[in-house]
Amino acid sequence: MSGATALSGGRRDSGIAAARQPALYGAAAIATLLFAWWLATAVPGLVPSRVLPSPLDVVARFAALIADPFSGATLFGHALVSLQRWGIGVLVAIGLGVPLGIALAWLPPLRAVVTPAFELLRYIPPFAWVPIAVLWFGASTTTQAVIVFIAAFPACIINTQLAVSGIDPILARAARTLGAGSATTLARVVLPVAAPTIFTGLRIAFSNGWMALVGAELVVGKQGLGFLISQGQINDSAATILVGMTTIGVLGTLIDIVLQRAQRLALPWRTDSVRPAE
Amino acid sequence: MVDATLKPSWRLPGAAPGADATLSFWRREPGRAQWLAIALVSLAAMFAAWWAVTRPEGLVSSLFLPPPIEVWEAFVRLWSGPYLGSTLGQHIGASLQIVIGGWLLAGLVGLPLGIAMGWWKRLRWIAFPIFQILRPVPPLAWIPLALLWLGIGNSARIFVVFIAAIVPWVMNSMQAVYSIDGLLVRAALTLGASDSQILTRVVCRTALPTLVAGARIALGNAWTTLVAAELLAATAGLGYIALNASRTLEMGILLVAMAIIGALGALFSIGMHLVTRWVAPWARAGVAA
Repeated sequence: MSGATALSGGRRDSGIAAARQPALYGAAAIATLLFAWWLATAVPGLVPSRVLPSPLDVVARFAALIADPFSGATLFGHALVSLQRWGIGVLVAIGLGVPLGIALAWLPPLRAVVTPAFELLRYIPPFAWVPIAVLWFGASTTTQAVIVFIAAFPACIINTQLAVSGIDPILARAARTLGAGSATTLARVVLPVAAPTIFTGLRIAFSNGWMALVGAELVVGKQGLGFLISQGQINDSAATILVGMTTIGVLGTLIDIVLQRAQRLALPWRTDSVRPAE
Repeated sequence: MVDATLKPSWRLPGAAPGADATLSFWRREPGRAQWLAIALVSLAAMFAAWWAVTRPEGLVSSLFLPPPIEVWEAFVRLWSGPYLGSTLGQHIGASLQIVIGGWLLAGLVGLPLGIAMGWWKRLRWIAFPIFQILRPVPPLAWIPLALLWLGIGNSARIFVVFIAAIVPWVMNSMQAVYSIDGLLVRAALTLGASDSQILTRVVCRTALPTLVAGARIALGNAWTTLVAAELLAATAGLGYIALNASRTLEMGILLVAMAIIGALGALFSIGMHLVTRWVAPWARAGVAA
């Protein structure tokens, strides 16, 4: 980072050049960082490759992991297993969480019913459920999916509830005045207005689930990206760990980009009025 | 960490008092006493159901879910004698020491860095992309690397907690300083304030609620991450108790460990809310959460 600071000499920024400047600085910073990494590993005796392999080693390891199975599967195989567990957990969380969130926002007394249970459970982090999930479901896909579910479910409920209760009451009352019943108001007025905010909340659920899955796979399981990096640690291969971490990060980013695109395609109107809770 | 409550006090924004009167019971916001009564009944029903299904002749075996009394006995056992080489207090102390240490360390680095990134645009241009690249990697994914670098010890856990906590510290402080109303800064300039005076007396003061919110999120992340780190590599701590209890099938102990983890998480969150109210009483609750 310090190497790039020297670049901040220019004082004036004007016109088109100014618009490109931030990207230039960012690219320079990342390039400097990569170069420093390479330099640190290239100078013999500075940083042992056991601690930090050179970037070239990591790329070579990446190619090797794609071609040959390691710990039971290729990189794609591990990624596919992770994505599958994540998909199951998140879909169940959405399937249960969104309807429940709508019900909680629409029927206030129901909120009083679930609040004690919710308050008792909400501060227990998803990983604290790993030991008990292993006992309940064994070291299986179910266990991983359950942890994903636990991580994603609260975000689904809370954000759906915030979205539905945050809509302008005038809209619901106008529908009532025009003779719409509860069901019609919900389906034709409330949900379309709340949908973009709900979707934004679901994106948080997707990402929470992905993060939790990595942790669950570190502790139990025979396959998956989290398992891959823990195997890298056991085999003393920092390059494998770095490849795994990068894949996890890249897949997480890709998932979010796809979801953003989907949101723009499916719900092109924007009514975000409520800030989703992380 | 989830940080929005299913608040009982919610009502439709702009709804007139009494506007609910024409609605049915299910669509109406219950009054305070009514709300409390429903919540208490629900809580009691939950415990009754737990007790009922875990009776000796009940539906659920005690290996799957132990009866409430067994959990209480496990708590008493943990409380009164050492378990896995340390008393409960020592286990809690071991966890707290690391979570607070890593969180403070991240704050010492992240708070000034974030403020500087918000204040100087060139530093932001340089450092922000680096954080953008690191952010999608879950803090937990650093655990194997930390173990490889630092071995199984406190330093590996502090490192992972540090990674988990520094992102909210930096991002919130940067956001807070960056999004400050330019009018305030110009007003201070007009009144003859120097750059450093503006930074300390105007910018940091105005940004305080968001800075504290960042600290709160960082503490929540740190706690969550520590529990995971203790599940993987530790010789003391609450996560270590939980994992061990699950291996030895001591369900009571496992549930007690989970409950204490949750209770400490709740304490952190409530404590940080109190701190927010103390240092920045003008901040609206829940702003920039």
